[in-house]
Amino acid sequence: MPSVDTEKPLESLENTKTHPLLPFLQQQSATSLTRLYQSPSSCLSIFRLLAPVERQIVMNILWLESAMSPSTMAAWVTVDGKKLYERSLETLSSLHILQQYPIKLLLNSTFKASLRHAITGGGKTGSFGVPVARDPKHAPPSISVLDGYALERWETILHYMVSSGTGQYPSKPSTGVLYLLKESGLMSGHFQSAEPVITSEGFQFLLQSPHEQLWELLLQYLQMVERRSMDLMEVISFLLMLSTMELGREYSTEQLSQTQKAMLDDLRDYGLIWQRRSSTKRFSPTRLATTLTSSSEASLPTPPGASTGTGAAADGSVTAAGGGGGPGSATGLNAPIPSPSRGLGSGSQQGFIILETNYRVYAYTDNPLQTAVLNLFVSLKYRFPNLVVGSITRESVKRALSNGISAEQIISYLVTHAHPQMRKFNPMIPVTVQDQIRLWELEKNRMKSDGGFLYTSFQSQADYEYVLNYAKELGVVLWENSAKRCFFAQEEGHNNIKSFIERRSGTAGKI
Amino acid sequence: MSSLLCVVIDLSIEQWHSSTDFSVSDLFTHLIPFLNAHVAASNDNQLAVFAALPGTSQLLYSSTDDQSQSLASGHNSYPQFQVLDETVVNRVIIHLDTLPDQDHQAPCSLVGALTKALCFINRLTLDHNANTSNAEGLEPIALPDPRILILSVSPDITSSYIPIMNSIFSAQKLKVTIDACQLFGTDSVFLQQAAHLTGGSYLHLEHREALLQYLTMTFLPSPSVRKAIAVPTQDKVDFRAACFCHKNIIDIGFVCSVCLSTSARVFYLSHQIPDENSPASECVTSSGAAQGRVLD
Repeated sequence: MPSVDTEKPLESLENTKTHPLLPFLQQQSATSLTRLYQSPSSCLSIFRLLAPVERQIVMNILWLESAMSPSTMAAWVTVDGKKLYERSLETLSSLHILQQYPIKLLLNSTFKASLRHAITGGGKTGSFGVPVARDPKHAPPSISVLDGYALERWETILHYMVSSGTGQYPSKPSTGVLYLLKESGLMSGHFQSAEPVITSEGFQFLLQSPHEQLWELLLQYLQMVERRSMDLMEVISFLLMLSTMELGREYSTEQLSQTQKAMLDDLRDYGLIWQRRSSTKRFSPTRLATTLTSSSEASLPTPPGASTGTGAAADGSVTAAGGGGGPGSATGLNAPIPSPSRGLGSGSQQGFIILETNYRVYAYTDNPLQTAVLNLFVSLKYRFPNLVVGSITRESVKRALSNGISAEQIISYLVTHAHPQMRKFNPMIPVTVQDQIRLWELEKNRMKSDGGFLYTSFQSQADYEYVLNYAKELGVVLWENSAKRCFFAQEEGHNNIKSFIERRSGTAGKI
Repeated sequence: MSSLLCVVIDLSIEQWHSSTDFSVSDLFTHLIPFLNAHVAASNDNQLAVFAALPGTSQLLYSSTDDQSQSLASGHNSYPQFQVLDETVVNRVIIHLDTLPDQDHQAPCSLVGALTKALCFINRLTLDHNANTSNAEGLEPIALPDPRILILSVSPDITSSYIPIMNSIFSAQKLKVTIDACQLFGTDSVFLQQAAHLTGGSYLHLEHREALLQYLTMTFLPSPSVRKAIAVPTQDKVDFRAACFCHKNIIDIGFVCSVCLSTSARVFYLSHQIPDENSPASECVTSSGAAQGRVLD
């Protein structure tokens, strides 16, 4: 909860997470970024991804025609905010949004023009997608259809990952997705020959929030696009355009470039867009796409258009009840979809895990994916139609740790998916359980190995101390025992110590 | 991190007529990009726009409205902006057109609009608490950074001193920041106090052609951002109060020691001071002060 903390007034501002796309953009050249900034929708989306202070700096100089001197702007900055302000300027400058920093504060002229167009509603046609008129033959897909589709696609990918190597073979995602999963190192194995197996990165990936998962995959996609020699900026620009589109509306593919048309197939596989047939000239973005640049924390709902989100969720519950809890419709309720408005609609449905101080876990879910993810670190005992019971044991946590999952990830997963009843407690997760999970992780790290050399057989105590002091100055001594006149030093210092000993006597020490 | 902004626009017909260099349409030219900029900053940002019209106050736009109505030719701008801009402008035109002629001279219902804005914030706070499973038993969590921006053109209506002060106290309780901008005319004493008491910013506009820049630099940053990038604050605040008897703003007055009501003239207090037998809590200083216990 971003409440105001009186002791550290800027804490809430400083703790804002950098969006994963921004570091990727920072690596791009100024010319390609400027090309990206030609589209108002891209500028608007990137503007949204910035931190609050960065956004304010951009807005402050957006409407100015001439450059502002940094000292004028710095006069507005509070003493506490100085560091934050300078860091923000550097981020903006590395994104090439600010030009000629630190001599003066001036927005990139392309960025300035595009963002002005975005905010005042001018600019070239079609930057925010070209909606098409209603198709007389087919009604446009309803929002619940879109949600269901996106969810089904996304869960297929995750479920495939989580059940790989367990001997079960759920429905496979398309080859494009499989290729991406392997390229990203989330799964390993020889393509097409053997079944790919999930890696430790893959396990970590599963415990992230859907929003982070989506962006991690998309970033991998962007890197793959570079290798496929597609135009990277057009790809990013299309993704950002999708994020500004309206849910439940159909858009035309006519204005898209060749690259962007090629992307439609991939994005359909990931569940970002919906098309009736792959040949149709129209597509609808799903909630996964339209919330790409929303904040990842679904803490405060009721965004514009929330009422439609609520409606969709209500639809979902009706279908679930009517369909007797069929797997497709019922999962729609529990599964987190990266959308704040969804959070509003099914606010109480979001969390489903109850964890007791006796390490027992009760998960109110019938979603096979959520059960499978829980199975990563919980030893499951019973399954009921809407409830899974298990307990966190040393073995189950050890298994997770050996898969590369960290204790923090387990705890944060439990926190994010905690049942509303759990949220009344403070702290939410029982301290005993939290500490025990951390202790189990520490157990794994009991031993630390260091390569090095043991120096023994010093002829006199003086010799020993003399060499030991030298080694201590180098900072490489790991263990010493003056009674036995020996010490152990790291590998890096060996050559120095060796020559030191040789220089001193030639025969004084044996190594 | 989301932020909630309520904008109250003073559309006093009399005052806008008297202004020569700045018209209502100029105001909206500057205001609309400002509103868009607020919505642009984050998907979770919420916005409500209220109009204070002569004799009445109206909600022009709120981001919790149903926005499913389709706009046919909307591909040059972000759909949300388009809905926002058209709704605000259309509703202003409708409300001004349907205003009865005799109402044109009536004082502007700033208090009404301000109260509606507070109710709106309160409703969202309750919704928010209900949704975050904080519904029962726990102290309601205030929304992060709610604030109200008042764009005023009218001089203070001294008869609304008590309701405005009451609104300020409600705002303080809801942790709402009130910002105020006097577009033209004389400085507003009440709005200065409102901004001062709620930690907001009061601005008397000097260069009206640069309104958008003023709005962006002073009123766009949410209270949490203001801790890093400062906004202009008042160097002096007019703390004068209006007396409860004649509703005039007074420099020196008499204060009832029981109910703390202010009066310009001493005899209103003296001839009705309760005798020693009646409980002190029942203060009957004057008929006006009976409902005016604002400083509890």
